[in-house]
Amino acid sequence: MNKTLVSFLVFVVGLAVFHNAIFPIFTPKEVGWILNRYVYFLSFVFYLIITHFILRLKPPISMMGLFVWCIGFYFYKFVLYPPIPWTLFITYMVMWSIGTFLYISQDPETFREFRKPIVKAIVGEYKLAQIVLMIALPILVGWATYQSIYPSFQEPVELRTVHPAPPATTKVHGKTYPLESTNNPFRIDEQDNYKDSFPFLDADKHEYMKYVTEGGTIFFQNCHYCHGDQLNGLGMFSHVFNPTPANFIDPGTIAMLQEAFLFWRVSKGGPGLPNESTPWSSAMPPWEEHLKTEEIWKVILFEYWYTGWHPRTFGTEGSEG
Amino acid sequence: MNFRLLKPKHMEMTMTNNNYIKRLILSFLAVALIAVPGAALAGAPDAIKTDLVEKGKKVYFKRCVWCHGVEGGGDGPSADRLFTRPRNFIQGTFKIRTTDSGELPMEADLIKTVKNGLPGSAMPAWGEFLSEDEIVAVVNFVKTKVQDRDFNDTEDEEVNVQDFGTNPWGTTGPYHLGVPQADIDAGKEIFMKNKCFECHGGEGRGDGNPTMKDDWGFPIVAADWQQCWNFRGSRRNHYDPFNVVRTISTGLNGTPMPNFKDQIKVEDRWKIAAFVNSLCPRKNIDKLTNKPVPDFLIQSVYTEGNVVAKIDDPSWASPDTDSRIVALSEELAENPLKHYIAMAGQITRGKRNFDPKTDNLWVSSRWSSEENAVYYLVEYHQRFMSQDPEFPDAVAIQWPAQLQELFGAEKPYFIFGDSKKPVDVWKASYMAKDYNATNAPNEKGYQLETSVKETVARGFDAIEDKESEGKVEIVDSIFHQGRVKVMFKRSLTTEGEFDVQIPSEQFIPVAFFQWSGRDKEHDEHMAISTWYYTILKPALPASLYYMPPIIAAIFICFQGWLVWMTKRTRKMYDEGKMRRDELPK
Repeated sequence: MNKTLVSFLVFVVGLAVFHNAIFPIFTPKEVGWILNRYVYFLSFVFYLIITHFILRLKPPISMMGLFVWCIGFYFYKFVLYPPIPWTLFITYMVMWSIGTFLYISQDPETFREFRKPIVKAIVGEYKLAQIVLMIALPILVGWATYQSIYPSFQEPVELRTVHPAPPATTKVHGKTYPLESTNNPFRIDEQDNYKDSFPFLDADKHEYMKYVTEGGTIFFQNCHYCHGDQLNGLGMFSHVFNPTPANFIDPGTIAMLQEAFLFWRVSKGGPGLPNESTPWSSAMPPWEEHLKTEEIWKVILFEYWYTGWHPRTFGTEGSEG
Repeated sequence: MNFRLLKPKHMEMTMTNNNYIKRLILSFLAVALIAVPGAALAGAPDAIKTDLVEKGKKVYFKRCVWCHGVEGGGDGPSADRLFTRPRNFIQGTFKIRTTDSGELPMEADLIKTVKNGLPGSAMPAWGEFLSEDEIVAVVNFVKTKVQDRDFNDTEDEEVNVQDFGTNPWGTTGPYHLGVPQADIDAGKEIFMKNKCFECHGGEGRGDGNPTMKDDWGFPIVAADWQQCWNFRGSRRNHYDPFNVVRTISTGLNGTPMPNFKDQIKVEDRWKIAAFVNSLCPRKNIDKLTNKPVPDFLIQSVYTEGNVVAKIDDPSWASPDTDSRIVALSEELAENPLKHYIAMAGQITRGKRNFDPKTDNLWVSSRWSSEENAVYYLVEYHQRFMSQDPEFPDAVAIQWPAQLQELFGAEKPYFIFGDSKKPVDVWKASYMAKDYNATNAPNEKGYQLETSVKETVARGFDAIEDKESEGKVEIVDSIFHQGRVKVMFKRSLTTEGEFDVQIPSEQFIPVAFFQWSGRDKEHDEHMAISTWYYTILKPALPASLYYMPPIIAAIFICFQGWLVWMTKRTRKMYDEGKMRRDELPK
C-alpha cells in the first residue's frame, strides 16, 4: 500500500478518533494533572510520531508541512482554553504558518521536494489537480468578493464606564452628604453577628434585623424587578435593559464599593451619572423621588446582609484596625 | 434522650407498613377499575422530613419570605405589586405537578419548581443559587406551611402519579423541531373538539376569556401559547412538548385550567402538545433570564418603487421564528425580519407600572427612496382590548428629535428625553370597532379606529404637542385573535424643527412605549423598552453583480501567467539556458 496514503489515513482517522472519542475523556468538569486538554494534545502529537516511527512512514515534505500546519490550527482553534478572539487567532496562525514554512525550507532539498508537486500541478503533469485548481480557485475568489461586497449591518458596539467617579458630595432631600465620610446610620453592628438571625423572625429581638427586614421589604417592593430576587441582576425586567442591571452577588459590584457610593447611585440613578459616563442608557431610577433617606440606607443595609458582602471602608475605621 | 427519637421512628415504620398495604389494595383497585392506558399508581403523599424543617426554615426566612410571606400565605411585601401573585401555600394548592388534578404534589415536583423557577413570573430558578440540601430542606419547610391539608395524612390524602407516555417523535432540545405536520394538524382538531379556544383563544394567545379568577378570587389569564418561554411549568426547557402534556393531564390546581386525563387519550394529548408547541416561535432563549435575546438592530428593508401599505400583503410576510434557527423560504428571504423588542414596566416616575400586560413587541420595517418614506409595522400580543374610550390602547415610537446634534453614541434619556436632548414621540391610539372582550373568537379580526399624536418631550414633565406635525400616518391596523398590528408611515424628511430626520445607512436610536387601555394605563403609566437601533439598509449595490466575475477573471489571468512562467522556466532549464539551483554535495 502506498505509504503516503497510509500516513494520510493515520493522521485523518487518528484526529477524528482522538477528537470525538478521547477529547471528551480529557475534558472532565474537574481538570486534573493528567486529565487536561494539553496532555491530550501532547498525546495526539506523540501518537503521530510513534505510528510514523513504527510503520516507518516517510510522507513527502509537502504533506509533513500540511500536518504541522493542521496541528497548529487544531491547537489554537479547539485545544487552547479559554478560546481566543479571532484577531489573536489570526495573528497566531500567521506566526505558525511562518514557522511551518521555515520547517519546509530548512534546506534546499526539502524545499525542492516541497515545490515539486506544486510545480507539477501548475504545468499540468498532474492533470486532474491542475483542472481542479484552475476552476475552483477563481470560483472561490469570486465568491469571497461577493461576500465582502454584500452589505451587512451589526449593531454598533458601545463602551461605558462601569464605576464612574463619584462626586465629592451629594444632596438628597435637601441635605448634603460628603461621600467620603458618610456612613450608613443603620449599620449599628457588624453583620457577621447576625448570621443565624432572620428577617421577620428576629426583627423584634435585634434592632439590626429590624432594619434588615425593613430594607428587604423596600427592596422587594421596588428593586427586585431589575436586580432580581437573588440580587444577581436577573429580575423580571432585567432582560429589557442595556446595560443589564447590576449583579450584587458579583465581587466586582457592591463588595468593592463604599456604602456612601451606593447611597449616591441609588438616590440619583441613571440621570444622576456624570457626563463622562455617557453614552449611558442606565435605566436605574433616581430613587430619591420614591424613597425617604432612611429607606435608601436600609435597602443598602439589606443588600449587604443578603449577599454576605461587607462594604469597603476607608479612613479612620480601616487605619485603626 | 434516644428513646424520644426512637418512638416516632417506630411509628413511622408502622405507618409505612399500613401505607404499603393500602397502596397494594389501591393498585389492585386501579388495575381492576381503570382500564385506560396511562393509569396512575396511587399512593400517599411524600411525608414531611421533620429533621429538615429547621434547616428549611432558615433558608425560607432568608430567601422566600419576601414574596411568600411569614405564614406562607403568598402575601409577602412584594405580593401586591406582582402579577401573577406569589403562591399561597396554606391551601396546599400547587400548579405544576405530576399528580392527578386536585391532589397534593410529589416532593420531586416541588423540588423541580424551586430549582427551575416559574418562567414568566417573579419566581427565579434557585438550582444554581441554593445547594441541593437547602432546596430539599426548604421544600419540606414549605410543606409544613400547608394548613388545610396534610402531607403526613395517609388516610385522606392520596396521590396518583400519572403516566404521561413518552415523546412519540423522539424530538430533542433545545427547539424540538421535526414533529410531522400530520400530527400537528391532528392536534389542532383535538384542540377544536375540546374547545380549548374558549380560554386560550382562536390562535392560542390566551385571549379567550377576560373574566377568569383563581381560587383566591384574583384575576388570572390563560397561557399565551405563542410565548412558551413564559410557561410556568416549562422547567427551563421551553420547547419541550412534555410540559404541555403534563399540564393537560394534571390541570393547574387553583386555576380554571382543568385536567383532560379522562377525556383525551394520552397519545392525543401528545398531539395537542405538538400543535401548541408548533405555535411558539423558535427564538434564541437567554439561559439566564429565560427570555428571547432582543434584536437590538431593527433593519429596514430597501424597497423598489412604493411600499405596499397593507399588513397582510405578501411583501410583509415574515415568520416569528428566528431565521438562524429555521432557514427562510425563498419567497420570504427578501422580506423584512420581525425584530423582538423586550418591554418592561415604567417604574421611574409618576404612576409606576409594576405589572405590564405586554412584555414584548415585534417590529419589522421597509423604506422606499422613491416614495421618500419609511414604514414600521409594530405587532404585540394583547389578550383583550380596551372598551373604554377614555383609556384607548396605544403604542408609540420614540426618536431623538435632533439626531444630527447627537455626538457619537450619545442619546437622550430613554424615557421622554431630557432637557438638553429632546425626543420625537409618535403615539398611535386606537379602539377596536364592534369589539367586546367576551365575543367568540373572530377569525377576521377587528378593524381599529386610530389616531396619531406627535409630541416633543424634554423629560417626563415637559411633553408638548408639536406646533407643526411631521405627518406621521397609521396606514393600516388590525386586532386579530389577541394580536395588535399597527403600521406607521412617515416621510424621511420633514420641515418641523423637532421632527426626526431619518437618514439611510445610519444607526438611529429608537425606543418603544405601549399602553394597555384595559388596565387603564395612560401617560407615564406604560410599558417601555430601552434604546434600540434602526438602520435603513441601502439597495443591494450593482457592483455585487459585476465585481465577482471581474475579480475571478483577473485571477484566471494571473493563473495563466503563472502557468506560462513556470513552463518557460522549465524550458529554459531543459535547453540549458539557465542553471537549476544546485544541491550541496
